[in-house]
Parts: sequence; C-alpha cells; structure tokens
Amino acid sequence: MLDWKSIVRERLLPLRLEPAAESALVEELAQHLEDHYRESLAGGVSEEEAFRIALSELDETSLLSGSRRMPRLDSVPPGDAKTGNLAEDLWRDLRFALRTMRKSPVFVLFVVLTLGLGIGANTTVFTVINTLLLNPLPVQRPSELASIATADVDLASKSAPKPISFADLKDYEAKNEVFSSLAGYTSPRVVTFQSAAASERMFCELITGNYFSTLGLRPALGRFFSIEEDGTPGAHPVAVLNYGTWQSRFGGAADIVGKTLRLNSGVFTIVGVASPHFIGVNAIMGPDIWIPAAMTEQLLPIEMKNAFSDREKAIFQGVGRLKPGVSQTEAHANLETIASDLAREYPATNGSRTVTVRPIRDALFTSASTSASPIFFASAVLLIVVGVVLLIACSNVANLLLARAAARRQEMAVRLAMGASRRRLVRQLLTESVLLGVFSGAAGLLMGYAGLQSLFGLLPGESNFIAPKFDGTVFVFALAISLATGLIFGIIPAFRASREEIGETLKEEARTTGRSRTRLTLANALLIGQVAFSFLLLMTASLFLRSIQHAYELDPGFQTAHLATLMTNPGQAGYGKSQTKVFYKDARERIARMPGVVSASWSSNLPLWNRLVNGIQIEGRQQRSQADKTAAIVTTVGLDYFETAGVVIDRGREFTSLDRDDSTPVAVVNEKMAHDFWAGEDALGKRVQLPGEKQMRQIVGIARNANYTAWAEAPQLCVYVPLEQNDSDAMVLYIRSNKDPKELLIPAEREVQSAAPQVLVSAPRTGRELVDGGLFQAKLGVMLLSIFGLLALGLASVGLYGILTFSVNQRTREIGLRMALGAARSSVLRLVLKQGMKMVLTGVLIGSVASVFVDRLLSKLLYGVSATDPLSLLAAALVLIAVALVACYLPARAASRVDPLVALREG
Amino acid sequence: MPPESEWKKGSAELLVLSLLEDQPRHGYDISKLIAVRSGGALRFHVTSLYPLLHRLEREGAIQGRWIEKAEQRRRRYYSLTAKGKKALLSKQQSWKNFVAIIKQVTGIEHA
Repeated sequence: MLDWKSIVRERLLPLRLEPAAESALVEELAQHLEDHYRESLAGGVSEEEAFRIALSELDETSLLSGSRRMPRLDSVPPGDAKTGNLAEDLWRDLRFALRTMRKSPVFVLFVVLTLGLGIGANTTVFTVINTLLLNPLPVQRPSELASIATADVDLASKSAPKPISFADLKDYEAKNEVFSSLAGYTSPRVVTFQSAAASERMFCELITGNYFSTLGLRPALGRFFSIEEDGTPGAHPVAVLNYGTWQSRFGGAADIVGKTLRLNSGVFTIVGVASPHFIGVNAIMGPDIWIPAAMTEQLLPIEMKNAFSDREKAIFQGVGRLKPGVSQTEAHANLETIASDLAREYPATNGSRTVTVRPIRDALFTSASTSASPIFFASAVLLIVVGVVLLIACSNVANLLLARAAARRQEMAVRLAMGASRRRLVRQLLTESVLLGVFSGAAGLLMGYAGLQSLFGLLPGESNFIAPKFDGTVFVFALAISLATGLIFGIIPAFRASREEIGETLKEEARTTGRSRTRLTLANALLIGQVAFSFLLLMTASLFLRSIQHAYELDPGFQTAHLATLMTNPGQAGYGKSQTKVFYKDARERIARMPGVVSASWSSNLPLWNRLVNGIQIEGRQQRSQADKTAAIVTTVGLDYFETAGVVIDRGREFTSLDRDDSTPVAVVNEKMAHDFWAGEDALGKRVQLPGEKQMRQIVGIARNANYTAWAEAPQLCVYVPLEQNDSDAMVLYIRSNKDPKELLIPAEREVQSAAPQVLVSAPRTGRELVDGGLFQAKLGVMLLSIFGLLALGLASVGLYGILTFSVNQRTREIGLRMALGAARSSVLRLVLKQGMKMVLTGVLIGSVASVFVDRLLSKLLYGVSATDPLSLLAAALVLIAVALVACYLPARAASRVDPLVALREG
Repeated sequence: MPPESEWKKGSAELLVLSLLEDQPRHGYDISKLIAVRSGGALRFHVTSLYPLLHRLEREGAIQGRWIEKAEQRRRRYYSLTAKGKKALLSKQQSWKNFVAIIKQVTGIEHA
C-alpha cells in the first residue's frame, strides 16, 4: 500500500498545525486518497495512472494553504511551557522575540535607529573620555608615576607648576631617596626638518637618557637612548621617532633605524621607534621625535644657550617612578628638603622656589598650559547631555512599547488564561526589549565610530596627535548601556502588559478609554520631559550662537579683516645673527612691494598667541622679593608693526629706523600698563627693564589695549620692544592687504621662500582664521549643542507624533461620534492639535525655567550676551513649536478625516 | 475566478448538507456522490472539500466522528446536527427562491 500519510503530512507541513489536529487530518485525507486510488484501479487504469489521479487532488494547494481556512497555531505554546531548563527557555524566548520582530520590521527599524543614535552619541563621548581621561598614558603601572615641577615658595600649593632647570633636575635625581628612577623631558618644540623636497615643521622633545626606562616602555623598532648618549653635550646626535610619525611621514619603512635626519642645522641618526599610541607625557599633542637632552644646545642654539648650567633657564618637566611603598606625600616631603637645600645654596635663582609632586595624570594636560579641569568639566557636561539624549530615546521607545502593549493585550490575556505565569510573560517581554537594545547597541557602535571619525577629523591631521582609543573598554561600555537601555525602556511596559486582568480583557471590546488613560499619563509626562530638555538644549545652543556672533563684533584692538600672517624660523636653518637680520629686512621689503600689500612687518608672536613674561622691573618701584616682579606680555616687533597690525598708538610715537641696537633702548607700553603704574602721571619718558637685559628701556609710546592671549579677554599688561634692539631667530610676518588677504597667502609664502629657500615658512593664516581659531572652543560647543539639541528635538517630535497617532486611533469611535453629532472637521483638528500642543507648551515652560538655572552656570563662557537673552529664548521656542506643530498636525488631520459611519460601525 | 467556480463555491455548502440529510457519510463518499450525481460536471478535490467540512463542523452544522467498522480502517463520518438541519432548510428555501427569480427574470423554463 502506498504511504499516503507521509505524502499528506509533507503537504501540510507549511501550515504548522497542532500535532493532534494534524495527525487526525492526515489520517482522514490519506484515507480519502487511498479510496480514490483503489477505485481508479478497480475502474481498470494502471497503478501509475491511478496514483497520478489521486495525487492530482492535492494540486490545488492554494486553497488549502489559505490561513483563514485552517486554524493556524504558533509553534511556541502560548501557555507556560516550563521546561525547568533556563538555557532552553532563554533560547526559546530569543527565537520567539526574533519572530515577533520579523513581524514588525518598521517598528524594529525605528527603535534601532532611535536608540542607535542615543547609544552612538554616548559611545562617542565615552571614547573621548576613555582616550583622554581614563587611560591616557600607555605606559607600565602609571599610578606609580609622579610629575615633578617647580613652584613658588609663597603660593606653593596654588600656583601653576612651572618647569625645572636642568641643574635642579639633576640634583633632585641624585639626592632623592623616594624614586627608583627620575627623568626629565621638555614640552614639544618646533624644529625644522629638512627633507629632500622642502623644509617641514616637526615637533621635538628633549629627554634625559632614562626617560623611556622610567616610563617602562619598549621600542617598537630599534632601541632607546643609552645613558652615555645623554652624557657629553653634543656628542651623540641620535633620535627616536614617534610611532605615528614613522607610519605617516616615513611610510612605516622597516629599515628606518640607522637612517639620518636633518633637524635644524644638525644631522641626527634614528636609533629606534617608540611604542604605538605613545605621544609622550601629553594628553592631546605630542612630539614627532625625541632627542637626548645632551643635544639641547646643538639643536636649539639660541633658545637653549646655557640650558645645562643656568638654573634660571627652566625648560624641563620631571617624571619619576616611586619606589615600592612610597607615597606621593612622602616623595613630596623628601624633594622639598632637597629644594630648600638648593634655595640656601643658590639664593639668587632658587631663593623663592620649591617643588611640587603631583600624579602624572595632572601633568598630561598642563604642558599645553591648560589645566585638566576644563576638560573634566566639558566631559561631564557632554556625558550628561548625551545621557539625557539616550534617556529621551529610551522614553520614546518605552512609549512605543506601551502603545504596542495595548495592541498585544489580547495576546497577553490569552497567554495568562492558558496558564502562563506573570513572571514568565515579563521575562519574555524583557527578552524582546533587551534583544532590541543589543541590536541598537550594534547600530550605536557604528554610529559612534562615525561620530569619532568626524570629531577627531577636526584635529589638524598630523601624526603626533592623539588617536581615539576605540578599544575593548568602549565595546564593553556600549554593550553595558545597550543592555541597560533594553531593561530601562522595557521594564515598565513589560510589567504593565503582564498585569492585564484576564477575564476583562478577553471580554473587552478593546476600545474603552478608561484603562488607557493611566498609560497615556505616564507617556505624556515622559513626552513633556523630552520637550523641556530639547528646549533647554536648543536654547543653550542659540545662546552660544548669539554669543559667538557677538564675539566677532567685538574689537580685539588689532585689525583682522585685512591681515595675513606667516611664521618663519631662520634660526633653525642655521642662520647667524647678521644673516637673520638681512633675511628679515629683505623678506619684508619683497612683500611690501607685492601688489595688494599696504604694509608688512614682523612680530615675535601671532595675534592671540602671545606669552606672559615674568620679571619685568619698573623704575622707581621697590621689589620685596623675586615673586614681586611684574608679569607682562612682551612682544618684539619690526618697523611699521602698529600700522600693519592695526594697533593704535594713542600717545607718543612708534618705533622708527632710528631705534637701533646702538641707540637708546626704547619700548612702547599699552594703556593698561600706563594706567596701572603711572596713574595721574605721564608714562612717556618713564623706564622699564626686561628680564635678562642690563639696561632700562625708555617708554616712547602708549598703544591701545588689545587681546593678547584670548578673544575678549580682560586687559593685560603689554610691552613692545623693537626688533633692532632685541634679536629673535623666529618671527611672524604680518601683512596688511587692501583686498582679501586669503589671495595673498600663497604668493607671499612663495616670495619669502624665494628670499631664503632653507628657511621654514609655515602656517599661513588670515586674520579671520586666527579669530576662528581663538573662538574654536566656543564654536565646537555650539556645534555639539546644536547637534544634540536637534537630535533631541527630532526624537521628541517623533515621540509626539507617535503618542498622538496612538491616541487618535484609540479615540476613533469617540471622534466619529462627535462628527456624527455635527462636529465640524476643523473642530476635530483643533481638538487633537490642542491635546498635543498643550504638552508641548508645558514642556517649553519647564524648559525655559530650567534654562535660567543652567545658563547662569554658563554665563562665564558667553561673550556679551546675558544668560536670559530673550532673542535666544524666542528663537528656540519658535523652532521647537514649529516642529511640534508639524508632528501634531499629521495625526490631527488623520483624525479630522475619520469617516463617522466607518468609525461607529468598526467601534 | 471563472464563473463556474463561483457557482460551485456558493452552492457547495448546500450540496454537502443535502447529501448528509438522510445518512452520515465520510469525505470520499461525499465527493464521489457529487461527482456521480452531477455526471462528472461537479468535482470536489480534497483541498477544497475538507476545509469546507471542517468549517461546517466548526460552525456546528455538521459533526464528525471516527467510526470503525469490521475489516475496514476507521473513517471519519459526518452527520447533520439540528443546527445543520435548520441551515439546510433555509438554504434550500433561499435556493428555490433564487432559482425562481432567475426563471422569472430570464424566462428560462423547462428548456
């Protein structure tokens, strides 16, 4: 007999029938086919033909497979199929969750995108923190390392740490009893790298021979310096390359060790490459190359003259590895005794000095003369912002799940009725949301990676900058927040959904509004919170934007519209004093002759990049101690500087060609200086003395105050001295144009280069670009705030849209009834709009109250805009309300198009 | 869908209920009777007959029962319930009315 049963069973397979129902049906159909077959045989046809005839009855499978005809059962039993096996239950839950997701791909896509954005933003910020703050120094046991620096005796704990002189460092190294090893390093210095093609800029750190061993590093290639190589000054011209520099500038060449480099006027042999990711004891920017400290005077002859013997010349930072069991406090105490011995021994230089010992982490940020605290502050603010963005995303998804929970109420009730325990249902629902969270986490990692690329793309793309650490820690972080996210947005809907009263829901016709009200209240509260937060962010962003606009209108005290600058470094090309002088004169004259140039001049500093110089003496003023000397900006300038830079001379005169190195030493001071020291007197004709100079300088002019180190800073003291009376081996060329200065940059650079081909000409910039640079942090802030603000607004609008659509669907019957009773379409539209906008306005109100508090915290960072700027408030409110109106209008329009008859019939 | 199958679908319930009026029958019996009595003009395949039977059973018009007879394998016999009898009557009535109306409209009579 033919096996009709297996034939039938195979055909029924896609229907996924319940086993009992299936076997009955199989038996019945098989019997039928068997009957048909036998009868055909009896009628005289061949066996094959009879089989074909019987089988043809099954051909019309389309009718059989119509799901409405046969009861279709899910392969996961709806009740509590307890297996007692946790792994098996979990596996079953996961499969079921995946199947549920496949049924609503749009929902899944929405959730994954929403949460992915939130998780991505968090991942980006966390990676930055991971890179900068959590694990910034890739060395062995960084907790054992301490940073050693000089401090003033008077204000030992408060003053910013200062560099140590080489002689002091060596004394600390020799006499201390607390460090197993103590090394020194300088901050990155600019040097000229003469490659075959052109002169390039490189950053170089001078280090003591035990630097790498103190940090516990191994070379990636070759070796580090030996102690002898840091012995006799000038005897061993060797260098170690930064790994990133080796990769990018030298293509990672395997035979790099033994090659030579021309740095400034010397030739250095590469002996090794440092380990990957190590950029010195720096958080953000490190050197391209390390050179033994013994080569200091050879590499930088003018700047570093007497660097080894002169205790006044402090250029080193100390780093020491503590002996086992020695605490930082003990180390500090030990070094302090040495410092006071030194103070007794060398009262002229060390009299007012002592020493500080800090954790190495604090030193990472200070070499760039910034302290770590703004970075901690900014990170904290960013973390809070992205955290809240993620919470918004979570609450949106929770809203969606609540809405879905309403749709799945019947399903839950059936499961409860069939004996599923509540715990089992909660677990099932949580499995679904955690799985969604994990998917979103994967999307978030991708988005976070993209975010990092664009964020780090803002850094000048040089190899000596820090690279983002997108490592296992970040991965674990993303996974942890994904799981947490899944739990957060899943837990309330899961508990609510499983709390259904069995009988009631099964009986219920699904459209009563009483039960949904509580659900909506929670959702509404979440939504109002979202609107408030988006408003706060937008408000702050627009405040910063206005502040930046305002900042550009401020007068910095110099002209920026027609300014171009170029940096040059003839000293590093090996130029002597007289050669340098000729170069300055020649280059300036060439540039001044170019079409479009009004005037040209030299200055020792870029605008906004001036440095304070300590130890200025005012004639007639008693100085009680070393620390009592005045600190001021000191700028060396060429002829025509004041006209070129647009700095106004209020009284007296500017420098002329008569101010020569053999004539009376002169200086120009700014208003603030004149006012602070000679209030009520005439500053002209008074005298000041700069550190290291033997003669007093006579004040011949008073210049208007300008911004020297930061945009919109408070006035600072400033002294200008003429280039002829103060040699400098590196100067910045200032060019004033009568057209767009951008057009001048390239021709001017070429002109200077043709005057002196070996001299490094770098960093051509216009005045506007310099101001942009000065406002970079504020701009970055606006950019981030705007991005996150718009992200939050987008999420909140989608949430608003979702919640209103859901509520309109729930109220279709009510709306139909209203319309049947004569309500106009417009009034229905208004009804729904009102419902939505009420929430929006409440959110805006809460947001504006919050913004008053938050923005007061930020008021320090604003340029001339009050923290309660009405225009910003208005702008943020308008943007938000406009977007919210659209989000409300769509469901409102849908509601107004409800057909009363259909609504009532379906209800 | 071709017109013929429209007709078939509409009248299938009536046919099945009528055949069960006098005695319980199994599925193959029903399909055979329809084919034979219609002279082969109407044929119900497994794929349309059994879904129909199961639906009628769910609606309570007929009832299926496994019955074992000597020297035969067990078969599922369907019989008409009280509800099914009522349904049959009303279907017969409406069919008669329908046919009468068609006749009246088209003038086809005893062609």
